[in-house]
Amino acid sequence: MAAGTAVEVVMPQMGVSVSEGTVTQWLKAVGETVAPDEPLLEISTDKVDTEVPSPAGGVLTEILVAEGETVEVGTVIGTLQAGEGAAVAAPAAPADPQPTVTAPNEPLAAPAGEATPAAKTGTDDEQRSFVSPVVARIAAEHSINISTVPGTGRGGRVTKKDILAFVESGAPTAPATPASAPPPAAATPVAAAPDAPKPAQKSPEPAQELAPGEHSERLTVMRRAIAEHMRHSLEVSAPVTTAFEIDMSRVVAIRKRLKGEYAEQHGVRLTYLALITRAAIDAVTQWPWINGEIRGNQIITRSYINVGIAVALDDGKGLIVPVIKNAEEKNLLGIARAIEDLADRARNKKLSPDDVQGGTFTITNPGGFGAIFGTPIINQPQSAILDIEAIVKRPWVIDDENGNDSIAIKPMMNLCLTYDHRLIDGAYAAPFMRDLRTNLETWDESRY
Amino acid sequence: MSRVGYLFDLGCVPYRDAWALQQSVAAAVGQGAIPDSVILLEHPPTITYGRRTDEEELHVPADADVEIVETNRGGKSTFHGPGQLVCYPILDLNRHGRDVKRYCRDLEEAVIRALQAYELEARRFDGLTGVWLDRPPRKICSIGVHVSRWVTTHGYALNVDLDPAPFTEWITACGLEDAAFTTLTAEIGRSISVGDVRESAAEALGDVFDLSLEPLPASDVSDLWPQPSHERLAERSKGEQAPTDETVSVR
Repeated sequence: MAAGTAVEVVMPQMGVSVSEGTVTQWLKAVGETVAPDEPLLEISTDKVDTEVPSPAGGVLTEILVAEGETVEVGTVIGTLQAGEGAAVAAPAAPADPQPTVTAPNEPLAAPAGEATPAAKTGTDDEQRSFVSPVVARIAAEHSINISTVPGTGRGGRVTKKDILAFVESGAPTAPATPASAPPPAAATPVAAAPDAPKPAQKSPEPAQELAPGEHSERLTVMRRAIAEHMRHSLEVSAPVTTAFEIDMSRVVAIRKRLKGEYAEQHGVRLTYLALITRAAIDAVTQWPWINGEIRGNQIITRSYINVGIAVALDDGKGLIVPVIKNAEEKNLLGIARAIEDLADRARNKKLSPDDVQGGTFTITNPGGFGAIFGTPIINQPQSAILDIEAIVKRPWVIDDENGNDSIAIKPMMNLCLTYDHRLIDGAYAAPFMRDLRTNLETWDESRY
Repeated sequence: MSRVGYLFDLGCVPYRDAWALQQSVAAAVGQGAIPDSVILLEHPPTITYGRRTDEEELHVPADADVEIVETNRGGKSTFHGPGQLVCYPILDLNRHGRDVKRYCRDLEEAVIRALQAYELEARRFDGLTGVWLDRPPRKICSIGVHVSRWVTTHGYALNVDLDPAPFTEWITACGLEDAAFTTLTAEIGRSISVGDVRESAAEALGDVFDLSLEPLPASDVSDLWPQPSHERLAERSKGEQAPTDETVSVR
C-alpha cells in the first residue's frame, strides 16, 4: 500500500499575508521521479520566487495547475505517487505533509475502481486532460465533458477562456453525464478530483473576466498614482467649489494687442492661461490662506507662491503638475514663458524632479476643451485649486451710468475655485474670487 | 536584543560571481553555519531577467556593452550598473516571520529609511513592489527575491548615481510600461556615490530586521565555502593589487 499512496502537492502558505501563488515552473514533468525534498516546482508571489520541495519521494502523476496560473494557498496543484515506480493515478487518501491542507481528496471523484482504468487508458488523453481547477470546476458545473471542448492552450489544453467560450456558445453539454456509465476518457478523474468542495479554492485567477465587447489594458503606474492622490484628497479635505462669472472683454482686447508683440519680440505665446495665472497670483497675495496648508494643528502660510499648472499628457496617459516657483516675482512675460517651458518639458518628459515639487496652489485649464464648469479636486496638501473655463460669447445685461439696462454680447468666462473648507470659509474664498474678477475685468497693464 | 549578522561589503562584482557567492552564503545560512548575512556590492552593466519576463521587455541595442543574464529571482527584467547599490540579504526567514510578502515590505521599509537620511520621502505603491518617489511616480529601487527553504537570495537595487536610461531604452524594466526611473543623485540635485549610501543602507537594514551587522573580512568569506569568487576575494584582500581584468574588489 505504501507504494501506492497518492500524495497531494498543494500551493504552500508563504506567509500569513499571502493568500495565493502563481505556478511559474514545474521542474519535473508528469511521469518523472522526484526525491523527497527535491525542488518540484517554483511558485511566485509578489516579487518573490520560491522553490517548492517535493512533499514525498515518488513519481509526479498529475499536474493540476499549469505554469502561469494563480491559485489560492492550499489548492491542490499536483499529485505524486509515493514510493518507487508507481505509475497509476488511483486517488487515495492524501498522505499530506503540508499542514495547510486538510480537505479530503475524493468525495466527488469516481470510485477508485472506475478512475483507474480511465487514467490507465490514455497517455495521449492524459496530455490533454491537464486542466486547471477552475476549468475543472466550470466543466463540472455545466456538466461538460472536457474532452469535447476545443483547447487552444499549450498542447491543446483547455483553458479557462476555452471553457467559458464553450459555455457561452451553448454547445451541447454532455447529456447530464449519465451517472451510471463511466464517462469517456480521462475526463472524470482529472476534472472531478480537483473539483471536490475544498474551501481553499475560490477564485483561482485574479485576472478579471472580460464580457463580450470589453477590452482590458494594464493600469499604468501614473494612473494608479493619480487614482490614489485623488482618493486621498477627498479623504483628508472638505472640498467646496464656488464659481464666478467674469467679463473677459478687457483681457481679450489686451491679449489681441500683445499677442503679436510677445511672439515676435519674445518668442512666447501669450495664452489666456498666462494672463489669468498672472491675475490669480496677484489675488492670492491678498488672500494668503488660498496659498496655505493645514499641517497637523498648524496653519502654514507663505511669503512665496509656487503655482502648479496641471498639464495633460498625450493619449490620456495622465497628468503632471509642473510648478512655477516664486511665481509672485514674475511679470506677465515671465509667467507666459514659464508656462510654455514647463508644458513643453512635461510633454517631452524632460522635467526634473525639482520641477514638480513644492507647489502651493494649482491652476487647471479644462476651458481649452470648451468646459464651462468644473469641481476639481485639491492637489494635497494644498488648500485650493483654480479651474479655468472656456471663454464664451454670451448676451449679458449691462447698465450705463444712468442706470439703464441693456443687453450686450460679452466674452464671458467662469472661474471655479475648489477650496478646503477645513481652512477656508466661503466668506474667504468668495472675496478672493471677487478680487480675481476685478483684476481681470479692470486689467491694469502697468501692474503686470 | 538584536542578533548578529555578517555584512559583506564588496566593490564591483560581476553578476555571475556574485550569484555564486550568494548561493554559497545561502547554503551556509540555511545550515546554520553562519548567521543571517547581507551582501552589498555593485555590478558592471548587466541586464537580468526572470522566468516571468516577457520577450518584449528586452530591446537591448546590439552595440550596448552589457551582460545579459537569466536569473531565478522573482520579478521581471531589470538593469544593474555601476552607481547602483545592490543589496543581497541572505536571511533565514524562519527567524523573520516566514512571510514572503512581509519580507518584501520590510525590504522596502529598509530602503525608505535609508533614503530618509537624504530627506527624501520615498513610498510604496500597493501592488508595485519596489520603492518610489511620487508626483509623478518614479522608481528609485527595484526588488526581486528568491526563496529556497525560507532562505532568501537576491534583494534590492537602489539607483544612486547612474544614467537611468537603460531601464527604459534597453529594457522595459519590471515589465512596467510608462514607468519612470530615477536616481538618488537626480532627486537631491547633488552628486552622491554608492559608497556614501552604504552605511545608511546597512544601518536601515539592520534596524528593520533587528540585526547587528558586523563587517566580515573577505578572508573569512573564503573559508566558508570553496567558490572561485571567494578565492578571488581572498586574493584581493591579501594583495590589494587589482588584477586588471577583474572587477572584484574589497573594501
